[in-house]
Amino acid sequence: MIRSIREGRQRFFDRNIALLMILPAIIIVTVLIVVPMVYSFYLSLTNLNLLHPSRARFIGFKNYLKLLEDPIFWRSLMNTVIFMGVAVNVEFFLGLILAQLIFKVTRGQSTVRTAIMAPMMFAPVLVGFQFKWFFNDQVGLVNNLIYFFTGEYHLIPWLINYPLNLFALLAAEIWMSTPFMVIILLAGLVSLPVEPFEAAAVDGASSWQQFRYITLPLIGPFTYIAMVIRSLDLGRAYDLVRIMTAGGPANRSEMIWTYTFRLAITDNKFGMGTAMSFVTVVLSFAFVIYLFRQLAKSRQEVY
Amino acid sequence: MKRANLFFVVVVGALVLFTLSLAMAEELKLGRFDGVTIKACLIGGGDYEKIYENFFPKFEELTGAKVEIVFKGNGFDIDKKMKLDFAAGTVDYDVCWNHTSFFSQYFDFVEPLEKYFTEEELADFSPRVMQFAKKDGHLWFIPRHADISALHYRTDLFNNPELQQKFKEKYGYDLRPPETWEEFKDIALFLNNPPEIYGTQFAGKEEALSGRFWDILMAYGGKILDENYKPAFNGPEGIKAATLLRDLYQAGAMPPGMVNFLWDDVAANWANGTIAMYTEWYGWYSYFQNPESSKVAGKFDLARQPKGDAGIHSGWAGAHAFSVTKFSKNKEAAAALVKYITSYEPQLFEGRIGYIPVRNSVFETLKKEAESSPDPLAKKRLELMQLQINEDFTPPPIVPEWIPISNILYPTLQAIMLGDKTVEDGLNEAAKKVEELMAEAGYYD
Repeated sequence: MIRSIREGRQRFFDRNIALLMILPAIIIVTVLIVVPMVYSFYLSLTNLNLLHPSRARFIGFKNYLKLLEDPIFWRSLMNTVIFMGVAVNVEFFLGLILAQLIFKVTRGQSTVRTAIMAPMMFAPVLVGFQFKWFFNDQVGLVNNLIYFFTGEYHLIPWLINYPLNLFALLAAEIWMSTPFMVIILLAGLVSLPVEPFEAAAVDGASSWQQFRYITLPLIGPFTYIAMVIRSLDLGRAYDLVRIMTAGGPANRSEMIWTYTFRLAITDNKFGMGTAMSFVTVVLSFAFVIYLFRQLAKSRQEVY
Repeated sequence: MKRANLFFVVVVGALVLFTLSLAMAEELKLGRFDGVTIKACLIGGGDYEKIYENFFPKFEELTGAKVEIVFKGNGFDIDKKMKLDFAAGTVDYDVCWNHTSFFSQYFDFVEPLEKYFTEEELADFSPRVMQFAKKDGHLWFIPRHADISALHYRTDLFNNPELQQKFKEKYGYDLRPPETWEEFKDIALFLNNPPEIYGTQFAGKEEALSGRFWDILMAYGGKILDENYKPAFNGPEGIKAATLLRDLYQAGAMPPGMVNFLWDDVAANWANGTIAMYTEWYGWYSYFQNPESSKVAGKFDLARQPKGDAGIHSGWAGAHAFSVTKFSKNKEAAAALVKYITSYEPQLFEGRIGYIPVRNSVFETLKKEAESSPDPLAKKRLELMQLQINEDFTPPPIVPEWIPISNILYPTLQAIMLGDKTVEDGLNEAAKKVEELMAEAGYYD
């Protein structure tokens, strides 16, 4: 009898060992991620207002429907998509060029590598203030440079007019984050095997052909990882926008992050703000899934 | 001999002070609170704390109570703390900071003060400010000091004979500080010469912009909300106010970057000499008048803000204040502290630091002192302040939703100024959003 219980217990452990081993992880993930997510999803279905928390009640998907009707939401979404699309791609191309150049440096490569990482060492808030000053229409560096070179005073309102303000934001973002791309792609370049290049050289391939048909496919996985990390990171580039334009003027440079903050915290519409966060999360997921599919595809091509 | 003299002066001085403080305690009828500890949650930072340091010990001497400051922070920090403490039921302080822009959120939280103060004790305060300390028949706070804006204008431009002549030819009246917003517009357009100098400018975003709109709106006789809490800023008065802002911006009499400026940007531009005239808070005065930090030192003067066709002078204002919390176990002692710290001497002390007093007796003393000041504007400035505090002082609507309303208003005003929306459409859309906001908050239930 006792024996069979013991055996039964043994069998239970054997069968469920995997589950038991990951149980702590499941508990932690549930407590720290699933429960808050579910709760905040519930909040997004209420009209919770921070000034009148006692008046909060369940309103179904009304917040989501309201968002769909909100022109500022659509504008912020479009701005965000443009911002992310341009930033990630430009950062990638600049990163690739810079990485190639640094890769070819024979002496003092580590010095150059360290130097190129400098922008990453600044807090985004500081970068924001710096670029806000660069693009100030009256005393800013950019307009003064234009004056210096052309001799004519053009008062270009960089941070006011659309899409100039998007351009200014992009300039700051790209300056700040390209080094990250450089580092990842450089790591990719360094890890490439030499044999394919030697074989190509023997076959008489030009350096462009080598780059196009060997380097690029081989560093594909690095590219996608760098892009996934950058796009998720961009999804948090709140501080830069907040400092430079705060989504304004007149919501012209509104991004989903600044608008979420405006709704949830400044306007006290917490339910609405959470709904908007969920839309953002879903979009991010879709984007990441797309990028991961591409990553898997490029892996198959390479190996 | 010298030492004996000094000793004599010190003794007499101490005696005089002692008698004075006794006399004051008697006059103020503070009472004795031996062994009582009064806890306070107050605005902190820089000059705000000087009266606590200088006068709380005196209060302790006079009454035997002990004052303990349990929290110091800026207005927004205290606001957050008080709301959270109130919601959690953990208010352990007797005296708290208050403010005209915030106090309507605290009605459940603070003690009506009318029973602790006599009419005579309140008579010295500006009646205009006191009017805004009352709601539903109760007195909710005692003001400490106020803030209001004055018209700042460049005397080197206004007194330039050539400009004066040209202006008169063009507009048919003399170039002088504008008395109406229409004149303000004329002069701003006339003196505009960008990029060297702009006719005018304001801080162009957040509450700073909504507040300036409120300034102009009230001059035209308009209101943000009517007595039923319905939005009222999209009427003819609001249209006039928003049109004025739009016209000045579209004509280039305000810099294009203005819609991204906050207070310090505009103040820096004024100090750099790139603004002909604008309305500005008094608080920047010493910075503007310092030749090391400002190019306009000695080159500007102050005037009352213009009025609109309702005959009202603009006077967007606010006042810091003290209240007693409902949860205080020693309300008498807490009220005594409020009474003492808002009395003549502490108020005079703050007036000398540069804050705008709310007691007329303090103004009188400061004006007398200013007569011997080397600064030619010193006395005029005080007279102007006193006039504005007593006649023009007008805080924004007394509802907790003022900041959310402002957040609807300012992007709309920006869109109107930038030409993204027409004046009427913009204001009507904003009014609709404000109405929704107020409905959700339960004002129309």
